Amino acid sequence: MAEVTLHQVTKTFGDTVALDHVSLTIADHSFVVLLGPTGAGKTTTLRMISGLDKPDSGDVRFDGTSVNRLMPAQRNVAMVFQQYSLYPHLSVRENLEFPLKSPLLRMAADEIAKTVATVAETLQITHKLDNKATELSGGEMQRVSIGRALVRKPNIYLMDEPLSSLDAKLRADLRIELKRIQAHLGATLLYVTHDQIEAMTMATHVGVLDAGRLVQFGPPREIYENPISIYAASRLGQPRINILPADVFGGAPSGASFIGMRPEQIVQGQGEEGQVTRVERLGDQTRLYLLIKGHDLVTVTEAHTTLKNGDVVKIQPKHAFYFDQEGNRVN
Amino acid sequence: MSDHHRSHRPEPGSTALVHRVKGLSDRAIAWLFILPTIVILLAINIFPLIWTIYLSFTNYRVNRPNKAVDFVGLRNYERILSDTDIWITMQATAHFLFWTIFFQVLIGFALAYLINKKFKGNDLLTTIIVLPMMLSPAVVGNFWTFLYQPQIGLFNYVVSFFSGVDPSQFSMIGDVVLAPWAIVIVDTWMWTPFVMLICLAGLRSIPDSIYEAAECDRASKWRQFWTITIPMVLPFLMLAVLFRGIENFKMFDLVVQLTGGGPGSTTELTSINLKREAFEKWRTGYASAYAVILFVTVFGLASIYVKALNRVKDR
Repeated sequence: MAEVTLHQVTKTFGDTVALDHVSLTIADHSFVVLLGPTGAGKTTTLRMISGLDKPDSGDVRFDGTSVNRLMPAQRNVAMVFQQYSLYPHLSVRENLEFPLKSPLLRMAADEIAKTVATVAETLQITHKLDNKATELSGGEMQRVSIGRALVRKPNIYLMDEPLSSLDAKLRADLRIELKRIQAHLGATLLYVTHDQIEAMTMATHVGVLDAGRLVQFGPPREIYENPISIYAASRLGQPRINILPADVFGGAPSGASFIGMRPEQIVQGQGEEGQVTRVERLGDQTRLYLLIKGHDLVTVTEAHTTLKNGDVVKIQPKHAFYFDQEGNRVN
Repeated sequence: MSDHHRSHRPEPGSTALVHRVKGLSDRAIAWLFILPTIVILLAINIFPLIWTIYLSFTNYRVNRPNKAVDFVGLRNYERILSDTDIWITMQATAHFLFWTIFFQVLIGFALAYLINKKFKGNDLLTTIIVLPMMLSPAVVGNFWTFLYQPQIGLFNYVVSFFSGVDPSQFSMIGDVVLAPWAIVIVDTWMWTPFVMLICLAGLRSIPDSIYEAAECDRASKWRQFWTITIPMVLPFLMLAVLFRGIENFKMFDLVVQLTGGGPGSTTELTSINLKREAFEKWRTGYASAYAVILFVTVFGLASIYVKALNRVKDR
């Protein structure tokens, strides 16, 4: 495993700037999650590190040495593709063996078989090993694709939304499993996702990308509790952070245009009056949709609340975030 | 269906028609649609086949329609299978088939592999390469006879330019050794583009992301070629071989135009030989037996081949 650094990496495709002077350090043994909407540059970042694409300027370094000129094979990275990219003419077993049969490794046949068996076991695809790769469900293909990376011991694992097409239960299982494997192997892992639960539960560090720029980087807790902008704050938390004009409640610091409140930053019982527009009972919690001075707001209340549509609730912010006109944090 | 309910003023007689059509079941309508095809198929394919099989057991001659037709049993078959001349034409056909397919697959795949690379003008180049295939075989045969002319032919000139052999010293279509190769060269020139197109379709069906995955899995270009490109193009290649095999087994026009089967009978392929028996010597019964033998051979070989092809595709 290695420490991977991006230094001022820029990449453009035609007129589109995919990455704009991104500097990022993925420490050895760390699990870094990249967050951002489609087009933010997440996949491009992975492709820069893998060597499938080369940066226009800037440096990709493994343990401090530039690898810009190295081919993907020389970089020794394992990548899980979003579209699986399995070898369609090979069986599941042959797909998993493929990277191990690289002449660079000179791995013995029985060792290959053992590794494949272990990984297949972990990913619960042992019974599918002799299937053709195209005779699988989407979720199975995705697991084979993850397996094809996990059989290896690369400098870094690069995973592009590897759990996106799994059902909820399997996704929860594999989330735990991936985290366990990463911790066990001491692997360095860069992981792209839309799913904030994956980011919160697995990441040692989260990088927030916005239109090709890295806007915040840090432990997930820190990004959650101390976001630098509305954009970064909106990446984590469910229900999403409420952004309202700062003057809805009193006490805004100077320069603040917006107030941002997560459910736990909203205290019920006193303050401004809001009208309940919708009550969503999720079982363990109940979401309350409020209309306050013409603005919509979502908060969480006790599971067995008796509130119903049309009721009036008083709320006020507690340790809320304030943002300026551009969306940057001011407090 | 509900047209006549909706329209206020139905045309006279249309209600009766709708009722009659309505009276037909879906199955009957389906039969109505496929019946013309079945009739045509029976008339121009199945009936002639059965009639040919019948004629193959007789001594019928089409140029003597008034002569009594005798049933001769398997005599036609015996005579064909023990005729050494026919084995010679079979050998000529096998030689032609093997070498044309060999060269066309080899060169066709190589061209497809090269032209599949992204470069400027490859669409134009593809079109140019494909041109020979669009010509009439008669035209191709005719102008290659000029190219093969010992005195004025471009082919002989080019060969002599590189080898130093005097162009008038050899005649591609007049020499018993060279003539079988002359027809292989022309067929390869004409049909390699076809194999190239099929290979190109195969190559283009492999997504880039597969190669990217292989790249990340540390497979060299060489290994990618043998473990990804070749296996994934193989079903297409086999299809090309099938098409070319069937086409060349019945090769007639091009070779007749080029060599007319000569010199001697060195380039007399079975289809040419068969045509001579049937329409020059007018041995209709004998030629029918000959056709049946060829039909069984091609049908058998093609069935085995298609089975193999399906196995490769399912792998």
